[in-house]
Amino acid sequence: MARSQIETDVLVIGGGSTGAGVAWDAALRGLHVTLVDRGDLATGTTGRFHGLLHSGGRYVVKDPSSARECASENLILRRVAADCIEDTGGMFVTTPIDDPGYADRFVAGCGAADIPVEEIAVGAALGREPRLNPRISRAFLVPDASIDAWKTVWACVRGATARGAHVLPYHTVVSLTMKADAVTGACLLDARTGDEVMVEARCTVNAAGAWSRKVAELAGCEVGVVPGKGIMVAMNHRVVNTVVNRCNMPGDGDIIVPIRTVSVIGTTDVPVSDPDNIDPTREEIAEMMEAGEALVPGFSHGRALRVWAGARPLFPKSASGQVSDTRDVTRSHSVLDHEALDGVGNFLTITGGKFTTFRLMAKDAVDLAGRKLAHPKECTTASEPLPDSESRRYYWIGARQEEMEHDAPDDPLICECELVSRTDLQAAMARRPNWQLDDLRRALRIGMGPCQGGFCAFRVAATLHQDGQYDRLAANHALRAFVEERWKGVKLISWGDQLRQTRLDEWIFQGVLDLEHLPE
Amino acid sequence: MVVIGAGLAGLTAGIRLAQEGLDVAMFATGHGALPLAPAVVDVLGYVPHRVQNPWVELPAFVAKRSQHPYARLSMGALAASVDWFKDIAAPLGYAGSLERNQLLPTALGGLRPTVLVPETMVAGELSGGGDVLIVGISGYRDFYPSLVAQNLSASSPAADCRITARAVEVALAGDPRDLRPQLLSRRLEEPQVRADLARSIRAELRAETAVGLPAVLGLERSHEVWSDLEQWIGRPVFEIPTIPPSLPGQRLQALLIQVFRRFGGRLQIGNAVVAGHGGDGHLESVTVAQASREVSVSAGHFVLATGGVGTAGIVVDRAGTPREAVLGLPVSFGGLSGEVGREYFGTHPLDRMGVAVDARLRPTGGESGHLFANLHAAGATLAGAEPWKEKSGDGISLATGFAAAAAILEDRA
Repeated sequence: MARSQIETDVLVIGGGSTGAGVAWDAALRGLHVTLVDRGDLATGTTGRFHGLLHSGGRYVVKDPSSARECASENLILRRVAADCIEDTGGMFVTTPIDDPGYADRFVAGCGAADIPVEEIAVGAALGREPRLNPRISRAFLVPDASIDAWKTVWACVRGATARGAHVLPYHTVVSLTMKADAVTGACLLDARTGDEVMVEARCTVNAAGAWSRKVAELAGCEVGVVPGKGIMVAMNHRVVNTVVNRCNMPGDGDIIVPIRTVSVIGTTDVPVSDPDNIDPTREEIAEMMEAGEALVPGFSHGRALRVWAGARPLFPKSASGQVSDTRDVTRSHSVLDHEALDGVGNFLTITGGKFTTFRLMAKDAVDLAGRKLAHPKECTTASEPLPDSESRRYYWIGARQEEMEHDAPDDPLICECELVSRTDLQAAMARRPNWQLDDLRRALRIGMGPCQGGFCAFRVAATLHQDGQYDRLAANHALRAFVEERWKGVKLISWGDQLRQTRLDEWIFQGVLDLEHLPE
Repeated sequence: MVVIGAGLAGLTAGIRLAQEGLDVAMFATGHGALPLAPAVVDVLGYVPHRVQNPWVELPAFVAKRSQHPYARLSMGALAASVDWFKDIAAPLGYAGSLERNQLLPTALGGLRPTVLVPETMVAGELSGGGDVLIVGISGYRDFYPSLVAQNLSASSPAADCRITARAVEVALAGDPRDLRPQLLSRRLEEPQVRADLARSIRAELRAETAVGLPAVLGLERSHEVWSDLEQWIGRPVFEIPTIPPSLPGQRLQALLIQVFRRFGGRLQIGNAVVAGHGGDGHLESVTVAQASREVSVSAGHFVLATGGVGTAGIVVDRAGTPREAVLGLPVSFGGLSGEVGREYFGTHPLDRMGVAVDARLRPTGGESGHLFANLHAAGATLAGAEPWKEKSGDGISLATGFAAAAAILEDRA
């Protein structure tokens, strides 16, 4: 077991959008940053959210300050993270089961929050989205969009590493080192090698989201974050090309987001005690299918590709205690200065919030860290574009196809659903240290399209073996682990056409490849 | 006669009946699972240990599974179906015996136990060990020889046997870009192309006694492609089936359809049977959906061979309610609540879902006897098997298709 040491200005615990945003912001201000996560980056809440860049419209009545935050961050992210965003636009529609009086309050609320809103005729709405419920009575356009979580996180991380940051995925924080009532760093364990890494940090930022309570406890601090479980179901194609919301007080399953080649419906909101124990239930899935029908009749007859759950980090600003319906908790974020709250120096927690406001959350956290470090540089993330977003061109769904036709028409395709070529695979491996097959899935979207890896998982594992990245046992294991992991997202939605797809995959993995019986 | 479904079970029943001079009309929605499958006939592979001799293991296997399709057949009927298949599929050179599972390499380099193997794969039988060269073709991305070779070398077919496997990659003459299997297969049907391939392989050969290639050795002229390669390389050559589309599967399907038609059978692919009509325990007719209308087809006997969930012979709605898609027959082992396997490689009770049949392969209504005296069912539509765990799917299709036809022939005698 090897032991190494790192000296850094800012240690960031948690590699989701908040942590990655903090790393980017701090690095831009000239601070040396070390970012750690117990798993791959963006595998916590960030990797499991709806993919929605909020216009803020959802919150204009219920939580106006959150609505204003979303509105201004929406504009900023469109400026600095365009490559991660598909400008789908958004629609709020009044369905027969919605409160007809809400629409006017919605419009007034948008006005108050400076959110551009345009009412369009129902006919125009249906012309734009033919699968919408024809019985809607009103429709409004707002600047919602869909945003790619992994692209965003990895862009922040690339930007930070280019400025000297250390990024350590698959490193668990075993303990926080303390000296004279202050956090001085952490002891990390490399989960893959068993090696120890001692980090000495002048300031430590707890950006562990739904897990921030556990991290804070390592310094004897209390963070009353309440994990709120929400499930999502991805359907096998884009039933709508616009983000579609119910025009009603926020509820469950009232948004459908088109994201890349699929559409995602969500979500629910149930308080849980353990953010690692959040399996979807059949009842919740049935609820989402029914909810989809309200917006898009026939929705539930489509092929459901995958179901998953995420745990939101909800931080109730009021007194601690039991929270029954976490949807009543404010969506704005909180920066907790543990020196002031708990007498523990050089330690702060940034919690609550949502993906849309991650940049603002990061700014607030780094502002405080900067003060603690007597490092008075201003935040520039509102104007500095992320790597690859310099052209300010939005991502569009044909981008990959266009790229391939232009640059590499002969590059063999490893994944046909998501147009991932052999060169892409090799480039991704070169970029990322100590990756797993699942990491590549997140980086390249292999197995996230309509076939969910039925064909490409074999090609990927075997290509990596052929190129010397995996030995025989690692390749065998990777493929088995891939199908086992994927089964978790599929077993509860094995009905209709997805059951047929599951059977096709069994033909491949168990019939042709006989993955179960490989030599040790 | 009406046969619903043109997969292995349907074609087996249809050919068997047409052979006896009966007038058989076959309707199928699509091409079914044959074009996806490796086109070997697995009878019984795992129980859960790997089976060496299916003939010896089957009685004990069936004794513990009274609901299994094999429990509806006599061992004699199973043996007869295997012999019959070898005869019918002789142009593809199928060989094998119920008393011995052959061990063939998979596209990952594992070993699969199977009974009947076409000529293009027979030389890959490795239960006695072997020293083989595994050849990949540049630009063809569905086959990876080094992983195959390494896993084969680590496999132990038996205690005192070893497999030594080495991998090479060769390029086809010309421009090997992104080679799709059908294209690759067609190119190999050109003598010059396969002569060049053979030469490249010969140059790589050392002491190996056989050469393994991905299963792309032609579609319509696989015999010539394979035998030319053997001759010019100077070693036995075997194909290794890989992910779909499967050329061996397409060859088998094409052959069976050809044989069926040669015996006078009429096949319409793309015309789904959507309903059946009958009463008093007798099925009178079925409704077939053709391009612009529905047609009623009457027959003396009917065989339902629509396959399981994979080919939408059995469908399950969102509430978890299963339905036999054509005739609405009762489905056994259905229902989603709590029956989904927790682990991917564990047991999946839902795999047994299907139509229960009596000893004459007639669908039953639970406790009562058959629903229709003149309706038989065969293949993956049947309840009670876990074909992936057992590696038994093809054997079930073949044996029950054959037995359904036999039952009909007996009825008529």
